Amino acid sequence: MKKRSSILRYTLAVGVGAVLASQSLQAKESVKVGVLHSLSGTMAISETSLRDVLLFTFDEINANGGVLGKKIEPIVVDGASDWPLFAEKAEQLLVKDNVSVTFGCWTSVSRKSVLPVYEKHNSLLFYPVQYEGEEMSPNIFYTAEAVNQQAIPAVDFLLEEGYKKFYLIGTDYVYPQTTNLVLFEYLKSKGIPVQNIGGGLRKDSKGAVISAGNYTPFGHSDFQQIISEISKFAASGDACVINTINGDSNVPFFKEFAASGLKSEDCPVVSFSISEDEFRSLPSKDLVGHLGCWTYFMSIDSPTNKKFKADFQTWLTKTNVPGIVKEGRVTCSPMVLSYNGVYLWKAAVEKAGTFDPVKVMEALKSGVSFDGPGGTVTSQKNHHLTKTVYIGETLENGQFEVVETLKDVVGEPFLKGTFK
Amino acid sequence: MMITNKFNFMKTLYLLFSILGMMGVVKADETKAREVLVALISSSSKSEEARYVEDLTELGDPIIANVVASWRVGEISYSKSQDKVYIVSGFETYEDLLTGAVISPAGDRAIDRPSRKLRKKLSRIVDFLDLKSPDLEKRMAASRKFGSSQKPEFIEVLREFEAKQDDPEVAAAFRESIAMSLLENGTRDERIQSVKLLGDTYVFAARDNIAKILKDASSGETVDEELVSSCKSALISIDGRQDLLDIVGTLFRGLSTGSVLLLVSYGLAITFGQMGVINMAHGEFIALGGYSVYLVQNYVLKHFGESSVMYEWYFVIALPIAFGVTALAGCLLEKGLIQFLYKRPLESLLATWAVSMIMQQALRLYFGAANVSVSSPEWLSGSYDFGGVMMSYNRIALIVFAIFVVIVTSLLLSKTNWGLHVRATMQNRQMASSLGVPSSRVNMLTFAFGSGLAGLAGAFIAQIGNVGPSMGQTYIVDSFMVVVVGGVGNLMGTAISSLGIGLVDQGLQPLLGPVMGKISVLFGIILFLQFRPGGIFPARSRSLDD
Amino acid sequence: MNRNSLFDSKAELGLVWSLLAFVLVLPILNMVAPEGSFLHVSSFQLSVWGKYLCYAVLAVSLNFLWGYTGLLCLGQCLFFALGGYAFGMYLMLMIGDLGGYKSSLPDFMIFLGYSELPMYWKPFYSPYFALFAAMWVPGLVAFLFGLLAFRSRIKGVYFSILTQALTYAAALLFFRNDFTFGGNNGFTDFKFIFGQEFYDPSVARGLFWGSGALLLGVYVLLAWLLKSKFGLVQRAIRDSENRVRFSGYSTTHYKVFIFVLSAMIAGLAGALYVPQAGIINPSEMWPTKGLDIVVWVAVGGRGSKFGPIIGAILINLLKSYTTREYPESWLLILGFVFLFVVLFMPNGVVGLWDQLKERFSKKRSASDPGDEILKSN
Repeated sequence: MKKRSSILRYTLAVGVGAVLASQSLQAKESVKVGVLHSLSGTMAISETSLRDVLLFTFDEINANGGVLGKKIEPIVVDGASDWPLFAEKAEQLLVKDNVSVTFGCWTSVSRKSVLPVYEKHNSLLFYPVQYEGEEMSPNIFYTAEAVNQQAIPAVDFLLEEGYKKFYLIGTDYVYPQTTNLVLFEYLKSKGIPVQNIGGGLRKDSKGAVISAGNYTPFGHSDFQQIISEISKFAASGDACVINTINGDSNVPFFKEFAASGLKSEDCPVVSFSISEDEFRSLPSKDLVGHLGCWTYFMSIDSPTNKKFKADFQTWLTKTNVPGIVKEGRVTCSPMVLSYNGVYLWKAAVEKAGTFDPVKVMEALKSGVSFDGPGGTVTSQKNHHLTKTVYIGETLENGQFEVVETLKDVVGEPFLKGTFK
Repeated sequence: MMITNKFNFMKTLYLLFSILGMMGVVKADETKAREVLVALISSSSKSEEARYVEDLTELGDPIIANVVASWRVGEISYSKSQDKVYIVSGFETYEDLLTGAVISPAGDRAIDRPSRKLRKKLSRIVDFLDLKSPDLEKRMAASRKFGSSQKPEFIEVLREFEAKQDDPEVAAAFRESIAMSLLENGTRDERIQSVKLLGDTYVFAARDNIAKILKDASSGETVDEELVSSCKSALISIDGRQDLLDIVGTLFRGLSTGSVLLLVSYGLAITFGQMGVINMAHGEFIALGGYSVYLVQNYVLKHFGESSVMYEWYFVIALPIAFGVTALAGCLLEKGLIQFLYKRPLESLLATWAVSMIMQQALRLYFGAANVSVSSPEWLSGSYDFGGVMMSYNRIALIVFAIFVVIVTSLLLSKTNWGLHVRATMQNRQMASSLGVPSSRVNMLTFAFGSGLAGLAGAFIAQIGNVGPSMGQTYIVDSFMVVVVGGVGNLMGTAISSLGIGLVDQGLQPLLGPVMGKISVLFGIILFLQFRPGGIFPARSRSLDD
Repeated sequence: MNRNSLFDSKAELGLVWSLLAFVLVLPILNMVAPEGSFLHVSSFQLSVWGKYLCYAVLAVSLNFLWGYTGLLCLGQCLFFALGGYAFGMYLMLMIGDLGGYKSSLPDFMIFLGYSELPMYWKPFYSPYFALFAAMWVPGLVAFLFGLLAFRSRIKGVYFSILTQALTYAAALLFFRNDFTFGGNNGFTDFKFIFGQEFYDPSVARGLFWGSGALLLGVYVLLAWLLKSKFGLVQRAIRDSENRVRFSGYSTTHYKVFIFVLSAMIAGLAGALYVPQAGIINPSEMWPTKGLDIVVWVAVGGRGSKFGPIIGAILINLLKSYTTREYPESWLLILGFVFLFVVLFMPNGVVGLWDQLKERFSKKRSASDPGDEILKSN
């Protein structure tokens, strides 16, 4: 009885593993790729769109012959906005399914929790969401916007328009804190005095000012106090707001902003976490003229983008993956960067002639290009991309209209301490 | 370079306005305004644009403000073939901008939008126009804007306009704005006068400026006594008024937070307190209510359009629908699951938690994981200025509705047969049943009522917050706490505790910040329950083991 | 079974032996079986099973509190997380200057502008202190809270809601970036543990054995306690606290002791969990996690000794499987499974055998089992 129970139990465990393993033995003519996003929990709001666009991309590539003659077989797992689960799912993808590459993660926490896993197994992860930089893992390729491909160009644009005062507002976590650290140094290097940087100053233990900004917790919804501060700050007419608020809190922030009578002509707000996807839940009529800075906008008028959007819509109507919303869909930068990531990976695989993650990473580092819906993107040695940066202003229909284009901006993750 | 252009432009503007203003000859010529606007919109060369903009500055017609507002938000379109400019004037109706007549637009019309620079210039023009707007609120807002900017070139303009104001309130606003500007730009005597004026009229916007003047004045080698003392007294009076308003503001915000808590907890208090069922799916009923409003909004938008009367009142229609949908869901849940779990609070907790997981994922699969936007109708947007405290209309509506719910529920429970049955069943289920109370029907109706209340809460939350599959999770922990603090089984206790917790939460926020405030409230609740373990109104029973 | 034996039945003894065998054998297979063979266990699988064992300890601790004393604590995840954070502090300090900013301070402290380690971080350079803290910090929190709560005779649903408030407040506190515990990002990216490279396979084995030893040790300890007079009083408190009190026992003292003991056990489980998960962040304290633990115990069978272990492992296996196979609908599946268990298996998986026996017994009584559920109002 005792021995039988233990063998029974072990067989059960291995049986599950065997079932999973056997599935991988099936399609020899396919290459497995992992899709690691949150399909439930708080982050599902943003990440399900990335899963959708990845599945579309795989279908598109498979329809055109696959990669090195093999069809892409996606293994989609749900990280459930649970960071230890992300690490476990990542390792499961690598060990059980032997995926050649993974496309995934959104929040920095999720990326940081899977980073050791990818380094341990020497595999490859593509990360598509704008982030704070200061990282370059040997096993991650960042198609995301680095700070100098989003925050810095936006600030440059505002400086050119003549704005002299900058109010920094963000959510209390690592992305806004780090970005504002970098922006603070940048603004000072451009001659903006400290009293013109609003939101509150942060000093280090020696009393020197190292950063600025007003940080609210996740889910914060009462912005009356903050808006009245911004009103006062902007009374002189040459102030703007740099907004790194994340997620749901943007809705009450902008609702309060509009209710106070402030318009974008008086005090424009440039937001880094609001793309077309997030804009759908904002009162866009009241937010005409504010700014966003990404390496893609849905309104870009190019044949590549038109085709991309049309093909995506067609795919949406035909797909029968459960839970995919078919109507009212928009495309935004993280989605396009996921799309670009897959094609860059394909190009690197073809260049390296193999699916081996180490060789593919080398091929990426040597530079491969792809003409995406947002323009041509080229991979760099420092695991980031050279791409086109667009500054857009918001329209009443939730779209962005491009007001400035900066071509071939080289992605640079390590910016802290580099401005003099 | 950009700045000097702007400066020159401003100077021109001010010059023109002051001259024309002094002469009192600002023409209100609508036809001419229309002509210039049409020319401006349809022009494509920058030099032409600049000329038309200058023309506009000479005209003072209020229609300019309206057209600029429409132009900003894409309500203006241009047809090349017809060379006509159209402006939206209603649901799928257009006017020819030149003539003002309703017209059906040409097929090739394209939406026209002003460039960023043009928009800014037009915004300045509109600000000036607002100074003479027939809408007094706009006039005052515009004057304050010019005053707060503290740019010296606007002082003359403000003075001109101040002299011509009939309404004393508006005139006072202009004087304040002038004083604001003089703080920075005036002579010493003018500054002292301004400080006194601003202090006496409690202008909060001036507080920081006065503080700065005080600091500069008292830190130099020679201290200007009169300036310092007038600054100090102004600060005292402004701060005093600010403190008073802060209290009022906190009270209002506390009431509105408490009302939200009340709405979400009342339904739970009924199902938990009256029936002994812990419904962890209560949050998902809230979400159902929110989504019902979303669906009604979409339906009305599709069939009646955005500017229609139906859209204005969609919310009123959505409320009973939200109630009905969630009450029905509650009925189903009760008949399908809860009726087996009375007096087994633990099993009801676990089972309804499972239902909550299922409902959340179902909502996510059907509506998508993203939040959906529900916009407020006109009469709920905006806020009421209560002497400096901004009270937004949708929060006022919330408070009113919460009071309404409390009254209606207590009437239902005390005056109707059903209410009598509910109270009897709660006191002693078996006895009530043996006396002929149809207990299973009473249970079902009570549970449905409690769930319907959750749906109504969701409908209101849709106006002030986000609607998504997990919106209920934000409220479920708080609502349990409210019910427990109030005393399980006691509706009055729930009402009081929700208002109390709301007030304490808002009261602590300005002192401790939002997160520490919330944490303190939680610890406060924990401590409160140490001293009154049964809540505010503990359930009194003779038995020792409840 | 012998009256004095710790185990109630032959079945239970069998389960314990098989658990022991499992704990011993798996890492050995990891060491000796060649890769690619059927019997090989990868260190990934080891760490997953190690995490399950830690979850099992957590479930056992809740069961001790709930199944045997009648105190439903919805905030057990708080003690687990506190223990995890304590050990996590040690792991963060072990990163040394291999972090992003090449300083001996953890990265998040650099952002906050710290130039040296806060005083309360310093003792965590020692792993033994960290383990000690992993036991005593949750223990202390439980002691303070329990003393206040039980002295005021708070019980039932009030107690449960209070524990939920406690863990919710703690989560909010830890989410703050300036709380010097990593804020939203928590602790991650560990490099060394006990002097070894973090991803060395011997570390995974060691942690697994540690988790297994903890589980077995805790099991034996609690079985012994339950068998003793202490256990009798404990169960009497669950069944009717007032009578116990009238019989002259200070139920408050008993309850505080049990609460503190279960918190310490949960804390140790957390400490062993964090190196196997590779990350700890404040969402481990979120109230939904507390409810998850309740689910494990309920599914496994509360009020039985081995039940929670089965429940924790079963549910987590199911979750692991479905998040991969049915990523869009796994919550539905889990929800329905749980609903089924609550409605039709009130004694959990462990009680299933007895339930089935009763259902199909020759002695068919007049009533149908379905009626039993309805009647038990």
